[in-house]
Amino acid sequence: MSWTTRIRVLYQAFFLLLFVWLLDRLAAGDPRAFPFTAFHHADPLTAAGTALAAGTIPGALVWSAALIALTLVLGRAFCGWICPLGTLQQLASFLFSGRSRRESLNVNRYRRWYALKYYILAALLVGALAGTLQTGLLDPLSLAARGLASGLWPVLPGGRPAPGGWIAALLLLGILVASRWIPRLFCRAFCPLGAFLGVFARFAVFRIHRGNEACTSCTLCAFACQGADEPLGNHRAGECMVCLNCLPACPEQAMGYGALPPLAAPPRQPDLSRRTLVGTVLTALAVAPLLRAAGGGRAAARPRLVRPPGALAEADFLERCVKCSLCQQACPTGAIQAAIAEAGVEGFWTPVVVPRRGWCEFACTRCGEVCPTAAITRMTAARKTGYDGKPPVRIGTAFVDRGRCLPWAMGTPCIVCEEMCPTDPKAIWLETVEEAGRDGAARRLQRPRVDASRCVGCGICENKCPVGEEAAIRVSSVGETRNPLNRLLAGSASS
Amino acid sequence: MSEPGPTTITRREAVLRLASTAAAAAAVGAGVVAFHDRRIVHPGAAPVPDWRVPASGAGVAAAARSTDPAGNVRRAVAALGGIERFVRAGESVLIKPNVGWDRLPEQAADTDPFVVAELVRLCRSAGARRVVVADISCNDPRRCFASSGILAAAGTAGAEVFDARGLRLVPAALSGLAEGLEVVEELLRADRVINVPVVKHHSLSRVTLGMKNWFGVLGAGRNRLHQDIDMAVAELGAIFRPTLTVVDATRVLTANGPVGGSLADVRTVGAVLAATDPVLADAWGAALLGSRPQDLGFIAQAEQRGLGRADLARVAELGTA
Repeated sequence: MSWTTRIRVLYQAFFLLLFVWLLDRLAAGDPRAFPFTAFHHADPLTAAGTALAAGTIPGALVWSAALIALTLVLGRAFCGWICPLGTLQQLASFLFSGRSRRESLNVNRYRRWYALKYYILAALLVGALAGTLQTGLLDPLSLAARGLASGLWPVLPGGRPAPGGWIAALLLLGILVASRWIPRLFCRAFCPLGAFLGVFARFAVFRIHRGNEACTSCTLCAFACQGADEPLGNHRAGECMVCLNCLPACPEQAMGYGALPPLAAPPRQPDLSRRTLVGTVLTALAVAPLLRAAGGGRAAARPRLVRPPGALAEADFLERCVKCSLCQQACPTGAIQAAIAEAGVEGFWTPVVVPRRGWCEFACTRCGEVCPTAAITRMTAARKTGYDGKPPVRIGTAFVDRGRCLPWAMGTPCIVCEEMCPTDPKAIWLETVEEAGRDGAARRLQRPRVDASRCVGCGICENKCPVGEEAAIRVSSVGETRNPLNRLLAGSASS
Repeated sequence: MSEPGPTTITRREAVLRLASTAAAAAAVGAGVVAFHDRRIVHPGAAPVPDWRVPASGAGVAAAARSTDPAGNVRRAVAALGGIERFVRAGESVLIKPNVGWDRLPEQAADTDPFVVAELVRLCRSAGARRVVVADISCNDPRRCFASSGILAAAGTAGAEVFDARGLRLVPAALSGLAEGLEVVEELLRADRVINVPVVKHHSLSRVTLGMKNWFGVLGAGRNRLHQDIDMAVAELGAIFRPTLTVVDATRVLTANGPVGGSLADVRTVGAVLAATDPVLADAWGAALLGSRPQDLGFIAQAEQRGLGRADLARVAELGTA
């Protein structure tokens, strides 16, 4: 292994381990302030998407400009040296394919359809401009985090089930398995972030070049080319992932990587057909309203669409959420799950609170702390709980199902929901009644009642309700702070 | 034209082949016999040990009052004959505080961390091999153990602190309680057990104290026990017989229990009671909340079952230091 390869592998291992370790610390609830969102804040695709969709680049996401700057200097070094999904694919390709040199040469040749990623990028950005942010579906950082959070962590010892996690896991696995046949197939043909960086990489100061005098056209440089960017012929700087495999491969030392003056002829453009590009843009414009018409939570509030505390109003939320799963991974009780159908087609894989799985811990603000795009607002525990004197942040309201509740329907004492209720005074109170049983004898019973003006919708009552499968007290989204129209009680601050 | 293969085998080969065939057949046969109609035996319910120590002349309960919770613990335990009466060198001790809620010590929803830490120190000084502090919280366990201050205080004092994530649950002989309930394994393994409840209001049992504190060693399904809470609490008192009950009344929660929240519902009492009689311990705590012990269903049932006597005259009030 040459020294360039060794250094690259060290970088790749470091960033992959860092990525997984940060997810692990999130899941472990480590209270230390690690840079959990560092990878996602460095993602210019996320920045461009939220800028187009929401008209803002929130907070630390401005750091993604640094990645564009890096690309303008070094080319797509992010893809070859940092991206955890790229590293995983390269590893899968290394482990599972025993290609001969002849096959390698064939498989590492550029294909016209690798330009597909540029169309995907165009469609996603145009969709964002039209108000539906779907970059997270294929963004490699979101995709990898989601695949691990929903696909790997649930099967680890002590893991919590993630409904629909298999979809995220299958996508990740499919991408890795595809590398068995074509190395980094996802990077080459599908990755919208790679395409985004590729646009800038064409103008990079540092690039691969071939000394024509020494070259014997032996094609050895193309054998291990990760990006299929044809270092031998007209090098495609926008495709090159700067893996530098071509340097040590050359027996004549004809290949180099360095700062070069701009080429006399403009660098080669991606093979984009104008007709197809216009078609892509028009299709994306048409898809955005179609997704809306499918009826998510945007037009009308949905009862099961309980968003994490501090989530923005649904329209604003959908313009920012990049479906990265960090909030899901950070939730200490497992309440936050990926929406499969709860939020409509547009909101697929966005976070919802499922109280039967976990409850929103009263003083916990973890999800907002790790949201890279501030789709979930960062706030203090005092703000969330209302201990600062203002109304607390509500995510919904609990309703007693009087047909299932033990005291209401079965004449059986139970106060678990009231016992668990964290608000002060408790939103669930007990009404004491005398009730005649089947034998006609009067009994004293305490029946839970919900004071909607106090309930924050945390769902611990639903979670701990002893009535199996479907609880006898359930939270729906009405009363949520983020939507002033999704109300139960008249009046301003209290409901 | 192919070469003709050998048409005979040697005697040695024949013997080896027959032997290996026989061995394989025997292995398959043994496997079939071993697994045929095999009964899957689930681990039986482990018995719950009795952790009590023999009675002595040193009294059954003592309450100390001062602004120093640790000092209260020391004086109350000393009045019952000292920690050496309850913990011997080489024994493993489990301390069961109430760490049910993600609340700060000032909110009085969890046992005071200084009380827990002092008990850990006493057990250590008596030569305990290991001291375990464990509870299965109602809120997120990490947050409960951090906010209550018990993780830091007990850990510093030399205890192994386990929350729900680190505890294994096993079936145990819980006669009379809901089916399918499991118990913390560390509890069953301990040589001595100290129950350390905090005095709180509760809307169903009216007060929550020591015997109710055993909910925290039970796994999923414990929420069904509320359907006959007085019976369940008395039953828990009959099943779990601790070496010592230390009632933390540093602060008591008078309303909105057992979670609390508002400091207006917290009353500073500055008292700690140590008792070998768990029913008496609960009666003393209930009295602090203004309840007559005889009016409380679980205390009456526990007395009837002979688990202890709720006669407050048996408490030695040590007064302020």
